[in-house]
Amino acid sequence: MGLLTKDFEKAPCTVEVSHRFESLHAHVKFNNGAVIYPGDEVKVHGPMIMAPYGEVVIEDREATIIRASKLERLWTRLTGDFEFMELCEFSFSEEATL
Amino acid sequence: MNVHSADALTAEEALATQEANQEKFDSEAATQVAMQDTLLTPRFYTTDFDELDAIDVTPVREDWDKLIAQMQSDPNRGHFKKNENWDHVDWDGMEPQLKKEFLDFLISSCTAEFSGCVLYKEMKRRGSNADITQLFQLMARDEARHAGFINDALREAGVAVNLGFLTQKKKYTYFRPKFIYYATYLSEKIGYARYITIFRHLEAHPEHRFHPIFKWFEEWCNDEFSHGEAFALLMKTDPKLTSGINVLWIKFFLTAVYSTMYVRDHQRPAFHKALGVDPDWYAHEVFVKTSKLSEQIFPITLDIDHPRWQRGLVRLQKANADLARAKTETGISATLTRLTSQVRAAAAFVSLFTIPAKTHRVPATTRLEPAY
Repeated sequence: MGLLTKDFEKAPCTVEVSHRFESLHAHVKFNNGAVIYPGDEVKVHGPMIMAPYGEVVIEDREATIIRASKLERLWTRLTGDFEFMELCEFSFSEEATL
Repeated sequence: MNVHSADALTAEEALATQEANQEKFDSEAATQVAMQDTLLTPRFYTTDFDELDAIDVTPVREDWDKLIAQMQSDPNRGHFKKNENWDHVDWDGMEPQLKKEFLDFLISSCTAEFSGCVLYKEMKRRGSNADITQLFQLMARDEARHAGFINDALREAGVAVNLGFLTQKKKYTYFRPKFIYYATYLSEKIGYARYITIFRHLEAHPEHRFHPIFKWFEEWCNDEFSHGEAFALLMKTDPKLTSGINVLWIKFFLTAVYSTMYVRDHQRPAFHKALGVDPDWYAHEVFVKTSKLSEQIFPITLDIDHPRWQRGLVRLQKANADLARAKTETGISATLTRLTSQVRAAAAFVSLFTIPAKTHRVPATTRLEPAY
């Protein structure tokens, strides 16, 4: 990992998407123990996983982890905290005027 | 088929119920084609997991075990399902602006629950401290359940939530553990205050209840309340978290959360009008309740009766509205408006943040019960 350069690595992963009434959730788990650090990006390959309503879809896929550069990691550590507002129920919306 | 998957005790049981209901879903799938698609785009988080694992709940063990036992007993299992109280909703007859704002309310609520679920699940999976992972697992369960319930209301309105975001490139952001505590504690407690204020208002004025989902707010907000309690106990384990320089951080989070709520709520005038709620009154009610609750752990509360408080909120809201308008326009004057309204918003926030806070003595015992 360089100061300004990004590294790429592949990781097998399991994706679980639940579109059920009692649980709406979606998670990615890396099966080789890969750890994600601040500023890293993850892309799960393959077609979009669409769980029809009422179903849970679990699929093994491959993901690419794009490791952040040292500078980016530092920057994310310093600024990431300010994105907390998303957790508030009233905060999220792309549209400022409705 | 009377069995509902919300009654299921285990994931396997839930799945079996789902299979039994498959036929129904298949026919629903056919109507989905015409549905409006909303892609959920939650953020993904990482934190300092070693720090999170180092938490020792021994100082609050008694309260902690009681709270966890209560969450495990899952009093709200089975609550989040439609029953005879779920009245018919006339979406087609709904006034278009109200419909737009109400859908935005549901989608943002769903996203927030979903994001909470993603965050808590991540903490659960990466952590190794048994107390902490157990808590996050229980909270992830509740958030996913709430998200599912809102999703169902959205489906009725013809809005399909798309969970396909996982295959898009997504960046992991970073939260310091202590900021997770401050932010999630506040978002859970203010969420409780918001839901219960609307619920009590509609109890007194049922003619304004234009959608049945509001009837579920009481039990719903009790989940939010318990989650907040858990974070209060977590903060209680380490006095440093609520003293010294961290008091300034607490003030920052309080100011940011309160003012964001004020700005956002004022963007939904038709929604509040239909509820028969004045957004200024509502904001003040919610701030009063949240401040009272947060005295359990924070050594300060914001002085929301200070003359600069309301003035600052109005200035911030106006600056944001001007900024939003300027963003849709092009040209030099729009660029200038964008710039000046950003400066005005920042100045308004600084004015709010610098209002002297009220200090008080934090009680020795932290735990509270929902009482509003």
